Amino acid sequence: MELRFKNVSKKYGEVFAVNDVSYSMETGVYGLLGVNGAGKTTLMTMLCAVTRPTTGEITWDGNDIFKLGERYRDLLGYLPQNFGFYPDLSVSDYMMYIASIKGIRPAAAKKRLKELLEMVGLSKYRDRKMKALSGGMARRVGIAQAMLNDPKILVLDEPTAGLDPSERIRFRNLISELAADRLVLLSTHIVSDVEFIAEQIILMKAGKFFFTGTSDELIAGMEADVWNCKVFGNKVNEYMQKYPVGNVKHVSGGVELRILSKTPPSENAVREVPALEDAFLLYFGEKAGDEDAEI
Amino acid sequence: MLKCELKKFFSKMTNKLILAVLLLVSVIISFLAVDSMNYSDTGEEFASGTGRITVGRSRTSDKNKWKGRLTPKKIADAVGNYHKLEKADSESVWSDRSVKEEPLYLDILYFAANIYQTESDVVHADLDRLAEEDIEHIYDTYADNLQKVAKEYGETPEQEKLLREQYGKIEIPVTYEAYDSWKTMATYAEMYILILVVVIGFLAAEILGEEFRNHTEQVFFTAKYGRSKAVRNKIITGILTTTIVYWVGIGILSLISFGMMGVSGYDTPYQMEDPYNMYIVTQGQYYLLIVVCGYIASLLSASITMLITSKMHTEKIAVFIPIIMYWVPLIMGNRLSTMTKVFYFLTSALVNIDKGINYMTFFQMGNVVIRLIPFVMVLYAAVFLILLPYVYRSYLGYDSAKHSHRESRKRCRMERKLEERSI
Ligand SMILES: Nc1ncnc2c1ncn2[C@@H]1O[C@H](COP(=O)(O)OP(=O)(O)OP(=O)(O)O)[C@@H](O)[C@H]1O
Ligand SMILES: [Mg+2]
Repeated sequence: MELRFKNVSKKYGEVFAVNDVSYSMETGVYGLLGVNGAGKTTLMTMLCAVTRPTTGEITWDGNDIFKLGERYRDLLGYLPQNFGFYPDLSVSDYMMYIASIKGIRPAAAKKRLKELLEMVGLSKYRDRKMKALSGGMARRVGIAQAMLNDPKILVLDEPTAGLDPSERIRFRNLISELAADRLVLLSTHIVSDVEFIAEQIILMKAGKFFFTGTSDELIAGMEADVWNCKVFGNKVNEYMQKYPVGNVKHVSGGVELRILSKTPPSENAVREVPALEDAFLLYFGEKAGDEDAEI
Repeated sequence: MLKCELKKFFSKMTNKLILAVLLLVSVIISFLAVDSMNYSDTGEEFASGTGRITVGRSRTSDKNKWKGRLTPKKIADAVGNYHKLEKADSESVWSDRSVKEEPLYLDILYFAANIYQTESDVVHADLDRLAEEDIEHIYDTYADNLQKVAKEYGETPEQEKLLREQYGKIEIPVTYEAYDSWKTMATYAEMYILILVVVIGFLAAEILGEEFRNHTEQVFFTAKYGRSKAVRNKIITGILTTTIVYWVGIGILSLISFGMMGVSGYDTPYQMEDPYNMYIVTQGQYYLLIVVCGYIASLLSASITMLITSKMHTEKIAVFIPIIMYWVPLIMGNRLSTMTKVFYFLTSALVNIDKGINYMTFFQMGNVVIRLIPFVMVLYAAVFLILLPYVYRSYLGYDSAKHSHRESRKRCRMERKLEERSI
């Protein structure tokens, strides 16, 4: 079980959406983090064989996934970022349809459907029309749909978008359960989605993987410390311009800021335990202004 | 898998709505057809009230007093009777003159008059010129004229031979039975078929297009059979639903119409209507020819809209193609076909059999000659079959990068703007 990217690039016009990525994945949960336009979706669509890399190769156990075709897709479960459904089908009819194109026999599909709907908490809604579901419910159907064929490779593009907080937590637990004996790749902007469940974190920026490793490695590699300092309300902007600032919390007599800096930003600053969130801020947050200027 | 695809088709709200409207239209056209039987050639009404519904049947059974082999004697009787009526009519004083009733043997008179009338561009044969004493030899004249027409309209020896062969199949004397319901339905069926071919093209395009419209294509194409069996099943669903919708529609139309008007005249030769027509069919076969051609037109419509949808990844353009294929040439047809013969062979010929049957038009290649209607039937049935593998290949060749993500890019830009604001 090895999925490998070999110098994979994807060009749209003159722009590299994915730029010379080489990486190898086995079982476990991989969290793909990056800002909008980093190339996460593009990478995932190539991995799911819906678009071909401009250059490079993606292999599954040494075989080109595009050559494997049906055999590869049989192992695949995919929740696209832009997940759509057939509005007039009921949840169970929708699932049965997807099961049919995945080549699952109706009897087996029915059983699996029941399990999955229970798993995503939608058993009550099995006869409801898809168009009558809320955005979050539809996304849960999307996750269930991806799981129908018990895939070896599960690719989830922003699976938690539109889920409410309790559903998010449920989803995280679900992923940890599913991860056994499976390769799960999930993309998100939300660090807390992957902080505790992803064994490997991939930071993606402008089409490149610029960090891969565990959450602890990422934090350990940060070239800045995390500080908590209390400032007056009128000073907030000044600090924001000077340092990457995480949480901003209003407290009595001022504002508490979570600041990334090599040196203490003020005398009263207190050193904090760094978290993945801080690393994300450090690597992506500070450059956000520049990136927008390019576009 | 096919069952799931069909279920998906029939559970769609728009499809349900369209099918309901088609059903309604078929009922309306049936009643229009039945009601049209209520008017004579001169525009008088035969009945009123509920009598309007049964008038077709009762007129037919009245006319069927003249049913049987049209021997020269029988035709002469009709002609004699007609002249007597005309004479009485012209001698009577204006105020006495009763409303002139359409004689029940009018079809027979026209048949006879048309035999003397070999020029096809004359619309109405002159009934007054029919002479009772000529009728004795009417079938000899007919046989002579058939030879003449074959010579005149057969532009090559092969065409002439084909015409002679066809004319040889005409049974003389012809056998008459009132065929008003078939004649009426030829027109009304063509009208309904014109609607069906466009609607069917739309429904078929939707089967492929809905994946893109609903943004379900990525799940579809990453499924195990998303680039093989599932695509094949979509195409089969397109053909199956075309078949179901078409034949159920035509079936309902025919059932209601013929149910009310009766099926008298199925075996009456088309030559009663046009003695020199080169298609030797009965009135009933003529109706079947129309609906079979309509079916081929529907299949072609479905395959072309499916092909364009799978090439363009949207059905928005495709759904207009059947209108261009079938409606536009009909509207401009007469002007175009005088320019070049090619226009006779356009796809619209398939839905225009009630005119096409009158054209002495052939396709000839070397010494193989085929008449217009069988030629377009074979040609477009073949085109339909040839297109299917292309539909399949172009659909499963989907690549998300080539599929213009105008919408998703727009969304991307919006997201970015939102983010800028939040920073
Ligand atoms: N079909 C396409 N045609 C042209 N450019 C595209 C296309 N799809 C993506 N891009 C561009 O490629 C880059 C990467 O896009 P991608 O959707 O992979 O980013 P992402 O990391 O998934 O972003 P998000 O977090 O917003 O989903 C962007 O600059 C985007 O504008
Ligand atoms: Mg994305």
